[in-house]
Amino acid sequence: MPSKTKATILQHHQQNRLLNTAMPPLAMRNPNDLSADDLLAPLDERVIEATVSALESGQTHYVDVPGIGPLREALAKFLNSSAGTSAQMSNVLVTAGVQESRFLSIHLISEQLGKIAIPSVVHPGVRKTLGIRPLETIEVDVDAATMLPTLTAIRAALSSGAKLIYLESPSRLTGATYSAEDVAAIAELIHEHDAAAIWDQGLAVWADSSPSLAAQQGMAERVAVIGEAWPGMGLTSWHIGYIAAPEPWIAPMQSQKQIMSICTSTASQYAALEASNLFEQTYPEIKKQLNNARQQLLDTAKLDVLQGGAVNILAIRSTADIERLQSAGYDVADGAEFGAPGVVRITITGDDTAQNIIEQLA
Amino acid sequence: MSKQKKQGTNLLYQLIAEARSYPDTIILGRGDPDFDTPPHIVAAAKEAMVQNHGEFTPPEGIAPLREAIANRVKRINNIDVDPATEIVVTNGGQEALFLMVLAVLAKGDEMVVPEPNYNTYHDSMKFAGAVKVSVPTSADNDFYIDPAEVRKVITPKTRALLLVSPNNPTAGVISEPEMKEMIKIAEEHDLMILADDIYDLFVYDDFKHVSPASLPGGKERSLTLNALSKAYAMTGWRLGWIVGPADLMARVKELKAAVSGGTSIISQYAGLAALTGPEEPVQMMADTYKRRRRVVLDALDEMGIKYGVPQGGQFVFADISFTGMDSAELAQKILSEQHVLVYPGSAFDKSRAQYIRMTFLQPEEKLREGLEKMKETMSKLQVSR
Repeated sequence: MPSKTKATILQHHQQNRLLNTAMPPLAMRNPNDLSADDLLAPLDERVIEATVSALESGQTHYVDVPGIGPLREALAKFLNSSAGTSAQMSNVLVTAGVQESRFLSIHLISEQLGKIAIPSVVHPGVRKTLGIRPLETIEVDVDAATMLPTLTAIRAALSSGAKLIYLESPSRLTGATYSAEDVAAIAELIHEHDAAAIWDQGLAVWADSSPSLAAQQGMAERVAVIGEAWPGMGLTSWHIGYIAAPEPWIAPMQSQKQIMSICTSTASQYAALEASNLFEQTYPEIKKQLNNARQQLLDTAKLDVLQGGAVNILAIRSTADIERLQSAGYDVADGAEFGAPGVVRITITGDDTAQNIIEQLA
Repeated sequence: MSKQKKQGTNLLYQLIAEARSYPDTIILGRGDPDFDTPPHIVAAAKEAMVQNHGEFTPPEGIAPLREAIANRVKRINNIDVDPATEIVVTNGGQEALFLMVLAVLAKGDEMVVPEPNYNTYHDSMKFAGAVKVSVPTSADNDFYIDPAEVRKVITPKTRALLLVSPNNPTAGVISEPEMKEMIKIAEEHDLMILADDIYDLFVYDDFKHVSPASLPGGKERSLTLNALSKAYAMTGWRLGWIVGPADLMARVKELKAAVSGGTSIISQYAGLAALTGPEEPVQMMADTYKRRRRVVLDALDEMGIKYGVPQGGQFVFADISFTGMDSAELAQKILSEQHVLVYPGSAFDKSRAQYIRMTFLQPEEKLREGLEKMKETMSKLQVSR
């Protein structure tokens, strides 16, 4: 006899609109896949050597829940030098990728603070994780050009009782970033409303300027920064991310991390540690290539794009352009999944992306 | 929080931290095999890196690994699963456990749980807002879970049964006739079954492990977890899985995507090598644990400590009530005096403060040394009793 209990469980999940949010793939599924969150990059031989060396020397066991010490230190140093934060190792939790960072920060910090404000346009992984357990949320309107929440909307959300706000800069859809003035204004609003923020700056390395909210005066105690560890180093599918946050927030997130996965893959952590040593010398060249590819696309393919900033993505809003790309066989990330119907995102996956697209569209 | 007030996992981590401060600590508590991952698995991981397998990893895991899991589950557990729709790869058994709980239990739902049990079940249920309904077990009958006791605690709110065999921390097992009875109970009350098979390869004294999903009526209502951590000494790789009926697994896949997105590609290739490579290392480790188990049980007999005979697992849950001490106090005393780490039973279940958990996961020489040291403390307690 069919189980009524199982039918009830299935119905409960199927009705969970948030949990069923579709997400773009993390990495490319095929050469025509421009929908992925991250670009395709080769794994440096030195990363392989360091990882294998760690594994062969017996680093195949559980490690500390928050991550191996040297990697946490490297992440703190990276954030401090690239984003102007003041993180210590004790502020850093290594995660099994940026989605785990979203899950832990959203659920555990809002549990402490209360109502959370979520942009109407945001990475689908945010909505998906909200489907895990009911949270009190407020939607924050976005600017039509950048798809970033406006200052007016942020003020409104905080005034209506949100104690925590989730923000991306750069936007995971358009790549647009907040200016230094905007970030200072957001900090002021957060301070004024005695609120806090989760600041996803995973794509900041791909923007020429992406000031961090955590670097603003008084924000170190009010902001959790999340992202992927050293994008562009070929570690996308190794699922390695971070949360940097005030220690009182790290403790419950660390406890939940223990409950969920005990620790992050040791191999991934040692690979990320070596990537940290190579990032500064490797990534400028990758960024330059991506920038060239993006510019070439903008100049030659004449795509109608939204205002961006990060060199690894482009958000397109012209129906004709979207149809051209899709009829040429490209997979694109559907903006509807981010909350922006009628917009698509393409990821610049390597330096030949632009040439391929231009040829296909010709 | 003060040292004395810590409970559950936090208490364990406090003890682990202190244990690390002594260079000569012998760890007889933590469930991390002393063996490193077998070399052929590390070599396969290296090959995957060289081949630059940086491809897309779907939330449910890469296809070749799911094929290998399906073969393993058929061969070892006698469960038929479709690798395309009935498997989700996870960040170790721990994430599998968390996802199973989220998949089946909602706020206010009850799950019948043998006590004591692995505390992450309690933590995961708490996160889901679910309610634990305990069925106590005891060393007196080797932590046997009595189906009649299970029946007694079922209410209209009960949605699932947790069946862990061998159990952690008690090493209690569920025989085939009892497992059939549990499935009958699940069918009668229309309950789901969460099955934890993580120690399925570690059974002793002719006991035969049986998965509920392998029995008639079991598969359609069971989610079954397993992982490579214990059997292949791969704790650091964080690789596990859940198998179950396709309709429920489709929901598990969404939960996995929401919680962590996917599982490290390099761990997946290492897991593939483990499941398709030589079985000798696994057998060698299992044989070794069998010998060490005897060493531990003999030592406990010498110390006059009562225990449930472990018919499975990698540990023994020993009754220290004769000391008159709380298990957290005793574990602290043994650690401070002898630099030997055992886990207090109260960390698994507050009402089990008269037990300690000891694992077999140290080389035999070190194990004997740790047990000898422990004897010193225990003998003083016996004299003063």
